[in-house]
Amino acid sequence: MFRMQCFHVLARSSTKSHRWFSSRPIDAEALLSKRTWSVRSLLPSTDTTPDSPQVSSEQLHHLLRLSALPPPKDPSEEARMLRTLSSQLHFVREIQAVDTTGVSPLRTLRDETTEGEQRNEIGLAELKDALCGEDAVGKHHKRVRRRRDQDGQKTAAETWHVLGSAEKLIGKYFVVEGGK
Amino acid sequence: MTAPSNPTLRLQYRQLYQNSLRYSLLGTCLTHRPALWNQVRKSHTAITADPVPLRKQLKDEARRKKAEKKASPKSSKTLDPRLSRWELTVGLEIHAELNTACKLFSPAATSLNAEPNSHVALFDAAFPGTQPQFQKATLIPALRAALAFGCEVQRKSSWDRKHYFYQDQPNGYQITQYYEPFARGGTLTLTQLDGIETSDCPEVTVGIKQIQLEQDTAKTILQPPSTYLLDFNRVGTPLIEIITLPQIHSPTTASACVRKIQSLLRAVDACVVGMEMGGLRCDVNVSVRERGTTAEGLSEYAGVKGLGTRTEIKNLSSFKAVENAILAERDRQIAVLESGGEIEGETRGWTIGQTETVRLRGKEGEVDYRYMPDPDLGPLIIGQDLVDHLKDTLPMLPDETAERVVNEYGISAKDARTLISLDDGDRLEYTEAVVETVMQRLASLPEKQSFDKVGKVVADWVLHELGGLLTTAGVPWETQTVTPERLADIIVHLQTNQITGNTAKKLLAHYASLQPVAEAAIPSVSKIIDTSGLRLVPLTEGEYIEMAQKVMAENPDMVKAVREKGQKGKIMWFVGQMMRRGEEGRVEAEKARSYVERLLEV
Repeated sequence: MFRMQCFHVLARSSTKSHRWFSSRPIDAEALLSKRTWSVRSLLPSTDTTPDSPQVSSEQLHHLLRLSALPPPKDPSEEARMLRTLSSQLHFVREIQAVDTTGVSPLRTLRDETTEGEQRNEIGLAELKDALCGEDAVGKHHKRVRRRRDQDGQKTAAETWHVLGSAEKLIGKYFVVEGGK
Repeated sequence: MTAPSNPTLRLQYRQLYQNSLRYSLLGTCLTHRPALWNQVRKSHTAITADPVPLRKQLKDEARRKKAEKKASPKSSKTLDPRLSRWELTVGLEIHAELNTACKLFSPAATSLNAEPNSHVALFDAAFPGTQPQFQKATLIPALRAALAFGCEVQRKSSWDRKHYFYQDQPNGYQITQYYEPFARGGTLTLTQLDGIETSDCPEVTVGIKQIQLEQDTAKTILQPPSTYLLDFNRVGTPLIEIITLPQIHSPTTASACVRKIQSLLRAVDACVVGMEMGGLRCDVNVSVRERGTTAEGLSEYAGVKGLGTRTEIKNLSSFKAVENAILAERDRQIAVLESGGEIEGETRGWTIGQTETVRLRGKEGEVDYRYMPDPDLGPLIIGQDLVDHLKDTLPMLPDETAERVVNEYGISAKDARTLISLDDGDRLEYTEAVVETVMQRLASLPEKQSFDKVGKVVADWVLHELGGLLTTAGVPWETQTVTPERLADIIVHLQTNQITGNTAKKLLAHYASLQPVAEAAIPSVSKIIDTSGLRLVPLTEGEYIEMAQKVMAENPDMVKAVREKGQKGKIMWFVGQMMRRGEEGRVEAEKARSYVERLLEV
């Protein structure tokens, strides 16, 4: 949604020229001094009663368990949690109300150009070294076997002291107490 | 009481302790039995009774087993009548560890039995701020696995997080491919030779829904009562999850399917650690439905309609466990439905030795994994050139290899499969090398003999003779010292009748027992034969006739039986007597028979 906002701002500033980017210098400070949008518009106003479905106490406890968060200490804390959760859900519903037809969701910030995709493609060239680590075995019954003589050797990523930051150890194992 | 060294007597002891019925059956022919039995009870070690001939012993055992089978009401071979009303449907989810040098998202090395916590990268231990780094080399075995099942490799696939809290998952989530796996839509065909249920014969085709890449978890050891010891060596090891369509309809077929998947993965070098070592794990989804009902109101999965509510059985660690667990769960579900109950969609467990699956968690305890795309990783983009190269160089799959071996060498389908499965295919390679050498040597001989049975003979020697020797001595195949040339040498001498079968076996035993030394130091077969005088000299015509006449002179009533009463079957008895009297291997049955027939004027 923010991407669409920026797009509109840019388009507005270059309505006279045919190029996307205007040749006139942009007065950034003047542009940014006026507030065009506030997140408060997505939060519920305190006087209106929410008509959307409420989160029940059981649902709250279920979510806290899933997230390994501590349960509320007393009913007033639970009421506070439910109120916060309710306004957060209102916010999420406002976001979900935006029309996203034809827009694929953003999963991760990455290079989405075709050149970027080509660079990230894993093909034969990238795996040539790995394929050299195999032997063609057998004259009659032809098979492939990965060479395993180097297996078990410590790589550069393994030279740190793995057990060093553990509070409790039994031999070379980390320890977790499973009892309640 | 020490067990007697005589194997016949040992056999007798076992029988005695088991069944009184057998006791009465044997009592008629083993008249020494009461005395022996009493002596056994009184812990006497000196048994002086004559042992019964082994042949008779074995015949009685066989007769007893037949009687027991007829008497037993529940036979596994007869079809359960409830199955005519209820149909079982099974879907498999198999997790197999990929054969790679390093883990999926960190450059730490994979390992099997290394010292605990010795191959852990910072990301594997979930140190805050660490990022996953996709290790490209893990694609090679993954793609080979997908190609072995004929799957369509997706150019673009993505990574998702599966969240749950457990001590073996340091990150609190597992990186998997939930929404977009890297391979979809394959098939697996099973035939009777793979061990499917007879009602599924001649063949069963099971669809593969998808194959996805994911991380493995840590190893936990429970120290009772509730302390867990964690070894993070296994965290992040690449796994492929193979999900089949619910198109399997019997427990035997399901077990055969798992076995076939393991053998396919091994054949393409994708997964080389077997189920018994924990390298392959299986979860099954089991449901039953009434035959003849429409698909309305029933569940559907991946396009397969008309399924009953399914339960999932986890922690199956052997092929037999898969079969037994599915059988037990099917029976439980049928019992529940027939008594008017409903099946709950729950997760159940199975331990070997139990008769019913155990409930692990129900629908209310179902874990909400909150799948979401992993924001640290970009999509996986696989180049078509890589897929094409791996497809062109994919090793021949076991079914195709078995067909080739059967066609080229005349070996039986069963033996062919055994050869392929033993020692990662090394046994088959050895057999083929021996056959090649034998054919070369036989072709260069002056006398042309018929050699269409060479393949069968060689396979027999490699599997049974050499294999038997190695098993008895406890020698693994990789360290055995009989070279293909040496075995070929023995077989050539045997096929050209220069030595007897027994001599050949002794020679093989001699070579197999040798310590590995330089080739030149080992004497060749011809040398041994000559120095030890083992060469076979066949009998002349005169010698045959002389022997036949001797036997006939000593047994006039047998001669009368053949000549006057026309009992032609007794001719082979004469041949048998000649073979027993003559020097081992020198009397050829066919030749002896022709001379006997000639002398008896038959």
